[in-house]
Amino acid sequence: MIFDKVNRKSFGKGNQKKSLYPVKYVINNLDGYKKELVEKEVASLKELSLINSSFRHVLGDTEKFEEQLQDFGQSFSNINEASSQFAEVKSQIAESVDQAQREVEELKNSSRQVEAHFGEMEGTFANFQECVKRIKGCTNKIVSIADQTNILALNASIEAARAGELGKGFAVVATEVKELADEIKKLVAEVNVSVGDVEQGTEQLSVNIHTSQTALGDSIEKVDETYQMFDKITEASEKVTTVQSQISAAIGDSQASLQSLCGFFDRTKGQYREVMKHIDFASKLGTTKSAMFEDIDNMMSQIPPIIDDYGK
Amino acid sequence: MKQFFGKSHSGDLKEAVRGLSNPQLIMLMSNKEQFEEHVKKLEALYPGVPSIGCIGMSYDTSVVEQGVGVLAFTDGIAAVADVLEEVTVMPVKYIERLERDVAKVDASQRDTICIDFCSGNDACVLTTIYSVLKQRNIGLVGGTGDAGKVSANGKIYEDAVAYAFVKNLNGKVKAYKENIYHKMQNHRFIASRTDKAKYILGELNGKSAKRVYQDILHVSEKEITTQTFKNPFGKINGDDVCIISIKEVDGDALACFRQVNDSDVLMLLELGDYRATVKETIQMIRRDFSRISAVFSVNCLFRYLLFSDNHYMQEYLQDMGTLGNHAGLVGYGEHYNNRFVNQSMTCVVFE
Repeated sequence: MIFDKVNRKSFGKGNQKKSLYPVKYVINNLDGYKKELVEKEVASLKELSLINSSFRHVLGDTEKFEEQLQDFGQSFSNINEASSQFAEVKSQIAESVDQAQREVEELKNSSRQVEAHFGEMEGTFANFQECVKRIKGCTNKIVSIADQTNILALNASIEAARAGELGKGFAVVATEVKELADEIKKLVAEVNVSVGDVEQGTEQLSVNIHTSQTALGDSIEKVDETYQMFDKITEASEKVTTVQSQISAAIGDSQASLQSLCGFFDRTKGQYREVMKHIDFASKLGTTKSAMFEDIDNMMSQIPPIIDDYGK
Repeated sequence: MKQFFGKSHSGDLKEAVRGLSNPQLIMLMSNKEQFEEHVKKLEALYPGVPSIGCIGMSYDTSVVEQGVGVLAFTDGIAAVADVLEEVTVMPVKYIERLERDVAKVDASQRDTICIDFCSGNDACVLTTIYSVLKQRNIGLVGGTGDAGKVSANGKIYEDAVAYAFVKNLNGKVKAYKENIYHKMQNHRFIASRTDKAKYILGELNGKSAKRVYQDILHVSEKEITTQTFKNPFGKINGDDVCIISIKEVDGDALACFRQVNDSDVLMLLELGDYRATVKETIQMIRRDFSRISAVFSVNCLFRYLLFSDNHYMQEYLQDMGTLGNHAGLVGYGEHYNNRFVNQSMTCVVFE
């Protein structure tokens, strides 16, 4: 205590000693108050430091959160960008559907042409079969004629035989005619075989044509079904536009809310920074206080020796 | 105004003052053995000229380690010198001398500087002196000498502060402080369990100061005393940092070269790029002064040792010499206005 530093013996006599005692008493108490003030200052500086530290953490967390919000915002933009491509996709689908429809129309037309050709072919086959029938009729007649020729040749041979020597030449002719008739019959038989093959072939062909016609008919039906499907696709892609508009609207609302939230955090960050500025300033003021305490101490510590000196 | 600096490495005062005539203020920086003799001789050579003196190394373009340096101002100044005594206990007893001398030179902020050489109890001395100076916003530059002795006007004093007021009649003056250390972030403390009289720092944020220092810097107890060259403490005072050097370990506490008080806010400092800092100081002075008559500086002994160890002292003096007439004292503590600091440089520039 400052009071203790004073040498009581150094006090002068009588009145001087009595008049200075209250001064020393006050100084003593001032020293005590100063010590208390210093203790409180130490405590408040510690608190300020803790507040500073807490606010720094809060500010750090706020900044991290704001970064995450900005990431959110970026995600919304990405979604919006992706959904805006729906229109492009829809347009491409419409274009593809158009083209597909045109090609299907062409296919239908081609099929119809093929159907018509098949119809012609059927007619042609019918004529062909008719011809084959007539050919068969002719060959049958040829065979019949050949048979009759054979009989005639036989008869001629018989008559030639009756004619004796005179009939030898005739018999040869008759034999050759018979051979001719036989050859004709063989040829006719070959023709019949060929005609038979042709008949079989045309039969098969006719069956194939029928099958193809049936298949063609089915595919034309499918084309119609495809038309219906294209209509459904077009209808569905129209609905996508509606969905995309709804997504855009929802994203727009979310972005607006996010902006609002970011604005709030910006303001909060600004306020935190303000608080920290004030805390820093208060801390700075606190540091100047310790210099003042030192000055007070330096001055006050001189008083007792001065009083002692005064008393001499 | 003109600044004269004379030196003698052998301590020959006559050699040191050769060429000095009509001085208006003399500052003597002598050695322990010859100080008393030099004070008397100087007074005999220049009787009645205001003078202050102390024991310490001096320099202009080179350092005078053992001999004597004499710095004097001639032309264009008004000066007065005196002393406050009993500085260990009550320098304020002599405050009227200071008040008288402030009025005598009609000191003002723009053109007057107070230069002081102190024997000890620096913080108390500066509080006392500055209580007068602050009334006129007068700056102060000074330092602590060795061996507890100073001189004023031809007389030697123990336990005193010799001061001089120098008024520049032809221009302005300005004081500067240079700090080659910067704050280490995240190492901020509140001091407690301090002993003002013994310059003891007991605790930092409630923990043993010695342990805190060791734990942060990973040094042994023995290394602490030399570690101060790289990592002294800094007392925060608003925007300013006052360096506090560590002297030695005292139990779990640290003894410093300057008093530390309870509730002082301290930060751990680390050595910066001192060459760059010196250049910045020089540039700042050049920006403030278009013409420079003289520069008087006080460089801390620890700075002198650091610069010398790094072979930079000569270059430093050359760089400072580019400002014009530069001379100064190697001090055991530096004074800047009302602040007593360590490991710093303070200087006054005269236009």
